[in-house]
Amino acid sequence: MTFPDPVQIAIPAFIVAMMLEMFAIRAGARGAYDWRDTGTSLAMGVGNTVAAILFGGAIVGLGSWLWQYRLFDIPATWWTLAVCFVAEDFAYYWFHRTAHRVRWFWASHVIHHSSQHYNLSTALRQTWTGFFSFSFAFRLPLFLLGFPVEMILFCAGLNLVYQFFIHTELVRRLPFGLEYVLNTPAHHRVHHGTNPDYLDRNYGGVLIIWDRMFGTFAQETEAPRYGIVRNLMSFNPLWVAVHEWWGIGRDVRRARGLSEVLRALFGPPGAVSGETSETIRALAAGQQPHAQPAE
Amino acid sequence: MLWTSIFGVVTLVFLARALGFGRNAVLGSGEEAATRAAQAIAGFVPVEAAVGADGHAALVAARDGRLAMVSGFGDRFVVRPLEGSRAVLEGAVLRVRLEEPGVPAVRLDLGEAAAAWARKFEGRT
Repeated sequence: MTFPDPVQIAIPAFIVAMMLEMFAIRAGARGAYDWRDTGTSLAMGVGNTVAAILFGGAIVGLGSWLWQYRLFDIPATWWTLAVCFVAEDFAYYWFHRTAHRVRWFWASHVIHHSSQHYNLSTALRQTWTGFFSFSFAFRLPLFLLGFPVEMILFCAGLNLVYQFFIHTELVRRLPFGLEYVLNTPAHHRVHHGTNPDYLDRNYGGVLIIWDRMFGTFAQETEAPRYGIVRNLMSFNPLWVAVHEWWGIGRDVRRARGLSEVLRALFGPPGAVSGETSETIRALAAGQQPHAQPAE
Repeated sequence: MLWTSIFGVVTLVFLARALGFGRNAVLGSGEEAATRAAQAIAGFVPVEAAVGADGHAALVAARDGRLAMVSGFGDRFVVRPLEGSRAVLEGAVLRVRLEEPGVPAVRLDLGEAAAAWARKFEGRT
């Protein structure tokens, strides 16, 4: 069984899909584009590709090294591929949840949320610094379990390709009960929303069942306001790529003691400014915010 | 793959521009600015707002004395609390500088209201 790179195969489809989405919106369909925002998102996507070329080899090398110490000899069959796909999606859920709850990981992931638009180009607004925040660590257990290295990379690629297509406002709801099982455009719109009830919800990649199981699911009930709590005032890709790292550096410099340094580095996003998802939700509900729960 | 991607980026950006996806956001009223500030800043209860003559930006004051700025950014708006920000009054124009790298000062032509809004910044820096 050979495993191609799904992302490489899908790039022409990405381009065609974005063109079709633009024409549909121009013709009156739901959604919005801004060429400046699109340019930034796509530049981030190209930069992410360059980062993958530069650092991807090291990650694969580390995975292959770990695979030598695998717990099981898992063969490359259709059924193990299906299991690997689900396992990879499960690992993605925990990566994604951590990326929203720990500022060190958020500093890389925030890039994907830094557009106030929600269209197919937003899907390609990806980090340049994921390697430095060790985002790949969440997939390492799959190598240790013994899934073939190429199979894991293939499943990760499929996950990414699937997620591209849910970054759209054109699709309201999927039929046949798929909304219960899959991460859909509606569920992921919630994830990109800054509405208090939408913050830190719907972390799933392909499957939404993880959010339903672990209590992080929210249904789309009102129009999302896309972006981040403090939206950027720059289309400059370099600033988009590093702005949260800059913020961490500023907060560490201002810290008065080790606990404040640790909170700036590893606390939830907004812990230093007092704008975590919990405080925002409490203030929106007219309550006095409580101390931050540890997660 | 990289060159295909770059070609795709250029094509898509030109297409988006050609299709007219590039208007600049303009505030219609102080009420709109106040609503946007309240949505963006948790616990911010607006009591007063002033929109610049060109509609590009507005200042909003909250019940607890906090100030916020609503500023156009592409076809969207960005809201900022103004703690630590400085404002310089030049006749009817207020220049607000955010403590944020790379962000130029925002110019608000507030007419006769400019001086009163400038006073609200006093003692904040």
